[in-house]
Amino acid sequence: MSSRIPPLLEPYLSLPPEASLILLTSVLGASSNWLVLRFLHSILVGPDPAPATQEDEAKVVLVSFMRDFAFWRENSKRLGLDLEKLATTKRFCFVDGLTSLFLPKTLSVRTGENVLSSLELAAVSGEIQRSIQSLKNGHDGRGNVFLVIDQLDLLLAAGGDQIGEVRLGEMLMSLREEVHSVILALSADYPLVSANQTPLEKDHAALVLNISHQADFVMSLRLLDTGTARDVSGVLRITVGDSIEQAGQDIQRRIEEKELLYFVGGDGGVKVFERGQ
Amino acid sequence: MSSFRRKHVALRGSGLDETKSAKQELAQGVRPSPLDGRLTTSTGTNSLDRLLAGHAGLALGTSLLVEESGTTDFGGSLLRYYASEGVVQGHHVHVLGMGDAWGRDLPGLGESSKVSKKETASEGLGALEGPVLERKEPSNAVGRGGSGVEENKMRIAWRYERLGQFGLKGTSTSNSGAIFCHDFDLSKRLTLPSPSLMYFVPSITKPEFEFRDKTTSTSPFNKFLNHLVTHLAANSSATVHRVVIPNLLSPALYSSDDSRPESVLQFLHALRALLRKYSTQLTAMITIPVTLYPRSTGLTRWMELLSDGVLELAPFPSSAIATKSTPGASTIHEEPPQGMLKIHRLPIFHEKGGGGGEASGFGDDLAFTLSRRKGLVFKPFSLPPVEGDSEAQQGGIEHDHGKATKVDIDF
Repeated sequence: MSSRIPPLLEPYLSLPPEASLILLTSVLGASSNWLVLRFLHSILVGPDPAPATQEDEAKVVLVSFMRDFAFWRENSKRLGLDLEKLATTKRFCFVDGLTSLFLPKTLSVRTGENVLSSLELAAVSGEIQRSIQSLKNGHDGRGNVFLVIDQLDLLLAAGGDQIGEVRLGEMLMSLREEVHSVILALSADYPLVSANQTPLEKDHAALVLNISHQADFVMSLRLLDTGTARDVSGVLRITVGDSIEQAGQDIQRRIEEKELLYFVGGDGGVKVFERGQ
Repeated sequence: MSSFRRKHVALRGSGLDETKSAKQELAQGVRPSPLDGRLTTSTGTNSLDRLLAGHAGLALGTSLLVEESGTTDFGGSLLRYYASEGVVQGHHVHVLGMGDAWGRDLPGLGESSKVSKKETASEGLGALEGPVLERKEPSNAVGRGGSGVEENKMRIAWRYERLGQFGLKGTSTSNSGAIFCHDFDLSKRLTLPSPSLMYFVPSITKPEFEFRDKTTSTSPFNKFLNHLVTHLAANSSATVHRVVIPNLLSPALYSSDDSRPESVLQFLHALRALLRKYSTQLTAMITIPVTLYPRSTGLTRWMELLSDGVLELAPFPSSAIATKSTPGASTIHEEPPQGMLKIHRLPIFHEKGGGGGEASGFGDDLAFTLSRRKGLVFKPFSLPPVEGDSEAQQGGIEHDHGKATKVDIDF
C-alpha cells in the first residue's frame, strides 16, 4: 500500500504531529485533490502495511466545499481506501459543504451524512464540531482525529460580508483546539493573493497569508512556469513555516524545503520527481 | 480462466454507476466515454468534443465556462450549437437571461445531418464522428444481422462494449439515436418541436424604471435555481438537461446587484451542487465577457474555480482577418483562423490533478474558425506557409504586408 504514496513525499505525508497545521495551496489547472487524497490515505492506512493497533488508530473528518462525496469516494477507491467502510467503523466522517449550501431549501437533506446547509459560521462550525465529537466518541475515545478541509476559502468568497477573514480565522482556531492536526486546502491563484483590489481579493489574501504563517509547512502546487509538458503536471513546492524553524523540534529533521515536479496519470497514479530526473 | 473472469465481472458490477449504466438504455445523445465509461454528451461542436481530455464529449455532471474577450460573439455561437444539439437530441434546455427569441434563432441542421438521418445509422456515424469512431465500421457491418450482434457480444467482453468503441450500441438503439453530434448550418433556423423542451428564465424581471425595494425583487439566479430544482425533480431520471447561460453578468442582462461576488458565486456553487447531484443528467455551458470581468480579478478566478472546464476564446482583431483573406489564392482551401483558443481547465482531467491526457490538447496552441457550414472548428494553430515565393520576391510594399500579418499571428 505504501507504494501508493510517492516515495519523495513520504516524509511530508506521514502522520502530522500534534497541533500542527498543514496548508496545501492550488491554482487553476493544478488542483490539490490528489494531494488531499494522498493525505487521507497516509493518515487512514498508514505507511506500513501492518494494521495499526487500536490505540493509535487515526480518524479523519473531511470537510469539502467544492466536491461531493462521490468524487472523494471514487478516487480514494483507486488508492485502495474504502471511505464508506471507514465511515461505518467511525474512523471517517464526511461533511458535505457542496450539495445544499446555497441551493434552495426545498430539497430534502439526506440523513446519515453531515450536510452543511447554512452560511452562518456558527452553524458551519457547529456541524464540523459535531462530526469531530462523533468520531471522538467512537472506539472509547481512543485515536487522534484529523481535520481535513477542502477549500475553506469558498466560504469567504461566496459568503460576502457575512463572513469576514478574521471570523473565519477564529473559527479555524477553535476547530484546531478540538483535533490533533488540521490540513487545509486553499486556492492561491495570483489574482486571489496579489491583486488586493476588491474586498474579495483582500480577504482571500489575508486568509492565505494568515494561515501560511501559522502553518507548520506549506505544500503549494502550481503549473510549470515554462509552459506545459506531456509528462509533467505541475510543480510542488514545500516551504517550512515559522513555527517549526523556531521550535527546532525533531520535525525539522523530517521536513526539508524542496521543489519537486509531479505528474498525475490518467489512472490517478502520481509520480513525484526532482527536476532533471 | 473463464470462471475467474466471470467473478471479476460480478464484482465490478456491484459498483453503483456501473450497474445503472449497464441496465439502463442510454438516453438519446448520450454515450459512454472511451476513457473511463462515464456518460458524456455532445457540445454540438465536434472539434470541441474531441478536445475534452479524451472523453470525446462533455461528461454529464460537468460545466464549461467559455470566456471571450472583445466584442465578438464566438462564444455565443458555441452556446447556440450546444442548445441546438440539445433540442435535436430531445434534451431539456434551460436558458438563463434570454427570451424565446434566442431559441428561435438557433442554427438548423446542416445538409449532411439530414441526409444521413434518412440513410443508415452507420453512415451517419462515419461521416460525423470523424477519426475517433472510424473503426466502428467493420463491426457495425457484422452487427447489423440479428445473429451477428449476439456473436459479437459473445466475443467482446461486455465491459469493453460499454466503452462505446464498437458501435453495437449505435445499431441496437438504431434510428437517429446513433448520431452523437450533428452538423449545423448557421444560415438555417432550427424548427423547434411543438411542445418545446426549451425553458427560458429572464434575467431582468421588471422594467428598469420601476423603483421598488430591493428586498421584494428576487435575483434571477434564485429564480433560475428554483426552476432547475423543481424541473429536475419533476422529470424522470432518464431525461437529460442542458443549462445554457449566455453572457453571464453582462450589464445588458444583469443588474449590478447580481455581479456581487456573494450573489454570482453562490449561484455557481449551487449550480455545481446540482451538476453533482444529477451527475448523469445535467450539463452546463456558460459564457462570460472577460473584457468586463478580466481574468486578473479575484471574482473571475473564483468563477473559473467553480466551473469544471474553462476555455478562453481570444479572437484576432478583425483587421487581421481582412488582410489575411485578401491575398486569396494561397488560402483557398484553408480558412484563416479567426482567433485562438486557450484551455485553462478541462472537466474531470484537471479535477484529478491534470496530466496524462495526451489527447487533451491542453497547452497546445489552438485556433478556431467559424464558418457557416462547419460551425466552430478548433484545430492546432500553425503558422500559414509563407505566402508564395513570388510574392516575397516582389518586396517593397508586398513584403511589408506579409510581415504585418505574421506579427498579428504571433499572439
